[in-house]
Amino acid sequence: MTQIEESIKGWGRLKEKGHINDGMDLSAVKPLNKSSLAMRIILLFLSVLTIYALFTIDYKSIDVPKAFADTISNFKTIFLHPYSHRFSLWEAFYEVVVTIGLAFLTTLFGAVIALLFGLLAAQNLAPKQVTNMIKAFVAFIRAVPTILWVLIFAVAAGLGSAAAVIGMTFHSVSYLTKAYSESFEDLDRNVLEALTASGANWWQIVFQAVIPSSATYLLSWTFLRFEINFANAVAMGAAAGAAGIGFDLFMASEFYFDLREIGLITYLILAFAIALETISLRMKGRLHKRT
Amino acid sequence: MALLELKNVTKYYNNATPALSEVSFEVREGEFVSVIGPSGAGKSTLLRCINRMIEVSGGEIYFDGVIASKLRKRDLRKLRTKIGMIFQHYNLVDRLTVLENVLHGRLGYKSTLAGVLGRYSEEEKKQALEIIKLLGLTDQVYKRCDQLSGGQKQRVGIARALVQNPKMILCDEPIASLDPNASKIIMDHLRNISREMGITLVVNLHQFNVALKYSDRIIGVNKGMVVFDGAPEDLSAEQISDIYGSESGDLIIEPGEKNAS
Ligand SMILES: Nc1ncnc2c1ncn2[C@@H]1O[C@H](COP(=O)(O)OP(=O)(O)OP(=O)(O)O)[C@@H](O)[C@H]1O
Ligand SMILES: [Mg+2]
Repeated sequence: MTQIEESIKGWGRLKEKGHINDGMDLSAVKPLNKSSLAMRIILLFLSVLTIYALFTIDYKSIDVPKAFADTISNFKTIFLHPYSHRFSLWEAFYEVVVTIGLAFLTTLFGAVIALLFGLLAAQNLAPKQVTNMIKAFVAFIRAVPTILWVLIFAVAAGLGSAAAVIGMTFHSVSYLTKAYSESFEDLDRNVLEALTASGANWWQIVFQAVIPSSATYLLSWTFLRFEINFANAVAMGAAAGAAGIGFDLFMASEFYFDLREIGLITYLILAFAIALETISLRMKGRLHKRT
Repeated sequence: MALLELKNVTKYYNNATPALSEVSFEVREGEFVSVIGPSGAGKSTLLRCINRMIEVSGGEIYFDGVIASKLRKRDLRKLRTKIGMIFQHYNLVDRLTVLENVLHGRLGYKSTLAGVLGRYSEEEKKQALEIIKLLGLTDQVYKRCDQLSGGQKQRVGIARALVQNPKMILCDEPIASLDPNASKIIMDHLRNISREMGITLVVNLHQFNVALKYSDRIIGVNKGMVVFDGAPEDLSAEQISDIYGSESGDLIIEPGEKNAS
């Protein structure tokens, strides 16, 4: 009892004198240490460099106002008169379907492999050493951009759809493994204990308890990845020659230099992207609602 | 003959002090045994050693004529199907329905493939529904378990254990998260299970007056050792303070009160 009284008195004393701040210089909220000094020097250096560059650009014969006007008129052609001489709307549509096919295939491959990896990376389902190993491996894959993986596999498979499929699958696996394993970890360890105690084995528990109770999240994550893969597939078509609408976009802009065709393709991709985005927004809503 | 027999069971987790030391007792078929003791005494450890969710460090456990502590993987699964288990936090799969959760109790009898595909026979479903009815959950059969009250969840837990057709059910503090009303319903169900179905029960309990009221026998555990083993009538105030430690003396209710409730 006396102890409590003393400690209450202590609180009073604290308020009176405010001795917490004694001997501390409050003005130096953010002291100038080594790293912030380095940061400032770098920022200063960069701004000087930028100003110098702006003054010494060699414009050659370019007339800046005219260049602006031209750009705007090009944009007008692209967005106000979309049309293609090379293919009909249906053919373009078919190319988009090819791109979606690429996205679908890589998402499917990725999902199947990630399901197994996700189980082995979930801390409630696998031994710690295994989960750590897989998590590290998968984090490494994710750290390298998709396009780089495609180019790496292009060394073996040659530029084209094969390299794109392998590279995109690779990245999808790592993304989905992380998402899946976190969904699996939502299931309490005690529930798994209860089922083990009743004689169920690991595979039965996984398919009867773990996957059913995380199914909606697995689907949502997979669809989110599908949307990402659609964007990737367009880029791969252009950058890695993986066919589909991305390749047409590349040809139109780099080879035929057909602005109106670029416009048509852009609109098509935009339409599909918006459709996918709408669906995935709903999925995200469901992910956030998880309790 | 004893259904369950523990001989000098010892469990070390990692340090020098054992969680269980030289625990020996027998449980006859159909008996309702309560295990009481203070927090950290080793009650949960004791229960989990019986169905080998925890491996013992020493001693032997016999169950239904086999040496449980020496079984290999396949036989261990078979042993576990014969022992149901109920938990303080119910441990149900929240996003599945009552029926699905109850049917989980049948997985141990199935081949891996049949279990993975969730192929339950008509007979199994009928039995599950019967047990659900017995526990008064008929209206909740197709409800998701996260929509149930604690008492209802625990009844689903009991149904899941019963559908195993177990010889014995282990209960780890089945009423510790429930209010008095729901607790009484659960304890009454447990008593019926023991009396009508002849299933042996080993129940960890925090409320020793509940233990006194319901059990045929009480085992008192303190610091990993059995300090009392006998009928509830023989439990004196002195022995209760032995079990719970001397400093809890003034919290103890007179054992005579058990007849009042
Ligand atoms: N997984 C574990 N690793 C290490 N020590 C453990 C582990 N589980 C339990 N213990 C220790 O073993 C002793 C007995 O624990 P146990 O959970 O069996 O007690 P209990 O009687 O069930 O307690 P409570 O009434 O609080 O549930 C405790 O000292 C605890 O710290
Ligand atoms: Mg316990």
